[in-house]
Amino acid sequence: MNRLAQEAVIVGLARRLNDEGSWSGETHIQKAAYLLHGLTGIPFDFEFILYKHGPFSFELRDELTSMRSDRLIDRQTQPPPYGPRIVATERGQQLEERFQKTTNRYRRQLDWIASRIGDRGVMDLERLATALWVTRRLGENAAVQERAEAVSELKPRVSVERAAEAVEEVDTLIEESRDFAST
Amino acid sequence: MGTRHFEIRDAVHNFIQLDEIERQVMDSDPFQRLRHIHQLALSYLVYPGATHRRFEHSLGVMEIAGQIYDVVTRLDKISDDVRDDLPEPGTLDHAYSRSLVRIAALCHDTGHLPFSHAAEDELLPDGWDHERITYEILRSDEMQAVWRSLRPQPDPDEIAKIALGPRKIEKLGIDLSFSAWDGILAEMVVGDSFGADRIDYLLRDSLHTGVAYGRFDHHRLIATLRVLPAVPSPGDDGGDAASREPQLGIERGGLEAAEGLLLARYFMFGQVYFHPTRLIYDQHLKDYLKASLGAGRFPTDVAGHLALTDAEITAEMRKAARDTGVPGHDPARRIIQRDHFRVVYQRRPDDTTFDVRALYEAACEKFGDGNIRYAGGPKRGGADFPVRDRDGSSVSALSLSHVLNELPVSHNQYIFAAPELRKEAKGWLDRERERVMEAAIATQVEDETNTATQGGNDTNDEVKT
Repeated sequence: MNRLAQEAVIVGLARRLNDEGSWSGETHIQKAAYLLHGLTGIPFDFEFILYKHGPFSFELRDELTSMRSDRLIDRQTQPPPYGPRIVATERGQQLEERFQKTTNRYRRQLDWIASRIGDRGVMDLERLATALWVTRRLGENAAVQERAEAVSELKPRVSVERAAEAVEEVDTLIEESRDFAST
Repeated sequence: MGTRHFEIRDAVHNFIQLDEIERQVMDSDPFQRLRHIHQLALSYLVYPGATHRRFEHSLGVMEIAGQIYDVVTRLDKISDDVRDDLPEPGTLDHAYSRSLVRIAALCHDTGHLPFSHAAEDELLPDGWDHERITYEILRSDEMQAVWRSLRPQPDPDEIAKIALGPRKIEKLGIDLSFSAWDGILAEMVVGDSFGADRIDYLLRDSLHTGVAYGRFDHHRLIATLRVLPAVPSPGDDGGDAASREPQLGIERGGLEAAEGLLLARYFMFGQVYFHPTRLIYDQHLKDYLKASLGAGRFPTDVAGHLALTDAEITAEMRKAARDTGVPGHDPARRIIQRDHFRVVYQRRPDDTTFDVRALYEAACEKFGDGNIRYAGGPKRGGADFPVRDRDGSSVSALSLSHVLNELPVSHNQYIFAAPELRKEAKGWLDRERERVMEAAIATQVEDETNTATQGGNDTNDEVKT
């Protein structure tokens, strides 16, 4: 996927998250991109590390800034205490249309992730994305409890019980995402 | 920990204090080398006063990092929702963390190549940059001897985490994880919002260039820094502040000082760091170094790195400028005689990053690679950070500050041409601009269409985590 096509897909992601009623702040885009990449294999060219609120990519942060500079996305201020939403601009949607072959190719994956995480808060997404991170490291066959303890160790603010819920949800998402591997 | 204290006079901070251990670090070869690395590369050709070095900047970063640490760990400044993340004042952990932060601040630039950032990207082997060299220096025999004299003895990786920060640790592929406290310590030194590195370089570069825009009320800024829970988001049902990961933020009363810092940065980007003449000298320097260095690359071993400074490069460059037979003669001559390439295109408000790159590539094709250069700054916007509002809650800075919200992303991108082609290249770019941009986008769309038609799904088998 070339750079412009990747930007078109990110615009599509931001637009769908907004359509699903998501807050779509930067953290939402970050987690959605990580889950999309990790679960459906959309070939985003970003490295993720375990950082604030779970897996995080500085490359994606720079890309979002660049896209804002190019007026493909914009920040929409919100009343305190919340941070801004990221919204697709008209110019961004024009780019999406020009790359419709690409965006159509990933349409199902984008719709799916937006429907699954659109209404979730940042803390929820932190648990979910960290659970996927751990699952990728320990393997899908590792016991839920083992993975939950690993999540809680990495994120001490997350209890083992909440981590176990997140791990189980990740297992469900992995199951659902097998659909995309065959398309 | 050291007991004797030393004082050094400094142009920005008046006095910088250091203890015996910090003095040992300062006296080491890697640190003393920084006396010969210009902070702003060849910017002194544009701003004659910009001859300051990484040496005094690094001392300044240590001074500010220590001040930040002392403020945010004061008992009366720590709120209950983050107390468990911070070491208790008066304990060994607290003193150790303070020492780590100051040493990391001192060492954060030791891996810089001659002339700082100017020529880094193409002059090191793949996978190397100045942060990687810093990492190697921190683990070198000479520095290990210094670390051994610290009690408790630090792991160089702990210093590296703070000196380089998570962004660089990610880029280098070093397998180190960051606890919430590690992340905060790194923010104190190299953080995007309030890092001591940024505070010192803006103040120092402003002073030495004579560009007043870089000044801001750093005393007020530092005095109001706090460790705060991250900004909340809707949907965080049932999540209280204590369950949100903490980060460096600011008291409501310091918000104007934070705005001042980010405005200063924005202005300094346009006026100094991405001044077009400075940028083209960086390009000429890179051309010279590619031609003159063995295999076109700087050494990456610690001994080889420590042996090269701006002084050695400048001496060789002056010789090359006089002798047509020496590799790199032409770019050396352009620098020494100030016969640099000229701006023929500057990014317009309606352009995108892709557009300017496309124009540059088309100009290279038309006028020849040797006659056209491109330079542009990275686009870094201001990240959001938490503000402790007057009711004690942690609030998004962007939800409170119109200034931060309206601050544009810097985009300084330029195309340059050899002086003799200036008029012709400028005219051609003006005439062909629309056609070139449209053709470039059409090519990208076509490439993607072909990918879709040929293989369908180009998803990655390998997931990068």
